[in-house]
Amino acid sequence: MRNDTPILVKKITALSLITILMVGFFWAFTEMPKGSSVNVNNRVSRLYILKNVKAATKSLNSGNFFAKGMKPLRSDVPYSPITFGKSANLEDGAANVVTSIVVDYRGFDTLGEVTVLFLAATGVAMLFFGKRKKNIIKAQASLIMSVGTRIAYAVILLFGIYIFVHGHLTPGGGFPGGAVIASGVLGLFLGNDHYESNHLGLKLFESLSGMAFVIIGLTGLFSVNSFLANFLPTGVIGDLYSAGFIALIYIAIGMKVGAELSAVVDSMIVDTEEEWS
Amino acid sequence: MMQEFLQNYVYLIGSMSLIGIGLYITLTDENIFKIIVGLNIIESGTNLFMVAIAWYPKAVMPIYTLTNKLSINGKVIAADPLPQSLVLTAIVIGLGTTALALTIGIKIFEKYGTLDVRKIKEAGR
Repeated sequence: MRNDTPILVKKITALSLITILMVGFFWAFTEMPKGSSVNVNNRVSRLYILKNVKAATKSLNSGNFFAKGMKPLRSDVPYSPITFGKSANLEDGAANVVTSIVVDYRGFDTLGEVTVLFLAATGVAMLFFGKRKKNIIKAQASLIMSVGTRIAYAVILLFGIYIFVHGHLTPGGGFPGGAVIASGVLGLFLGNDHYESNHLGLKLFESLSGMAFVIIGLTGLFSVNSFLANFLPTGVIGDLYSAGFIALIYIAIGMKVGAELSAVVDSMIVDTEEEWS
Repeated sequence: MMQEFLQNYVYLIGSMSLIGIGLYITLTDENIFKIIVGLNIIESGTNLFMVAIAWYPKAVMPIYTLTNKLSINGKVIAADPLPQSLVLTAIVIGLGTTALALTIGIKIFEKYGTLDVRKIKEAGR
């Protein structure tokens, strides 16, 4: 497409491309299993839900897992039924199965994800480096706004901490908790004129909690011989003090994401005089 | 009939429509910020697609609670938790890349004085 192509030709080309793509997608859907015929009992996720990956790996290593007819998951893998509040010393003590996958079984993946977020926040800070904030305030925040955001900040901070401390029991976890905390900081920026955040404190907090994640992983490496292995007792499923190191890692992630997103909000809020086209 | 359609196709149609809308915006629009919005819509469509294929009719949420039993006699009745955890990862990375893209958009505006990709291309020559 050249620069002088008429806009109509451009739109028609885009529409036809999208039509071809959609037809391809829907043709692929006819080959996919329908929603009513999906069976989780044939998927790997069954082992995550029953918290029995170790037994499956053991039978895989001993050679009787992919036995007759290459069945990927045998139905007679031994398991004990899990009851909330009673079952103790499970392979992974988190009541929230998604959390147990994200932090425990695929913890290395989450470490990479945290690294990507750190790189993005560092890139934002680097591109905005040296940009002085103009002290021209277009709209003065009213008294109600400035007092209300400060009161709301305390409640929002508490709620964010609640979300990431209870990550292994309820929906949520470190990333949503950190985002909630950053939204509270955004309120502080909107409600108070000339609000300055503690840049050094944010950087220090972020780096220390990122290091805490790696140190927890290294502790697993030296005590259980596997990076990011669970080295604490898993406890009774459903208790607050259960699931071993998942709560520790989610606290570290929550503090790190909260500090990072607050730094992003801090660098992105600038009062500009230019008119944006 | 209607129930079967809703169970099997409505999520797929919704997510694919989101991907199509985002692709159309990305291909035809000239404002950089609108292109970023289009990329975000594509991302939402992808996430919706992945969550949709994790669910099947009468599945319960994959969280153990007092009243929520995930398995009955060894048969799992919960939704597939693996795509959900992948989406959790994808949302966070999408947030980071969007912040970085917006920052680069602001820097482009400061350098060229416009957000129109055609004018930027002409000025670069």
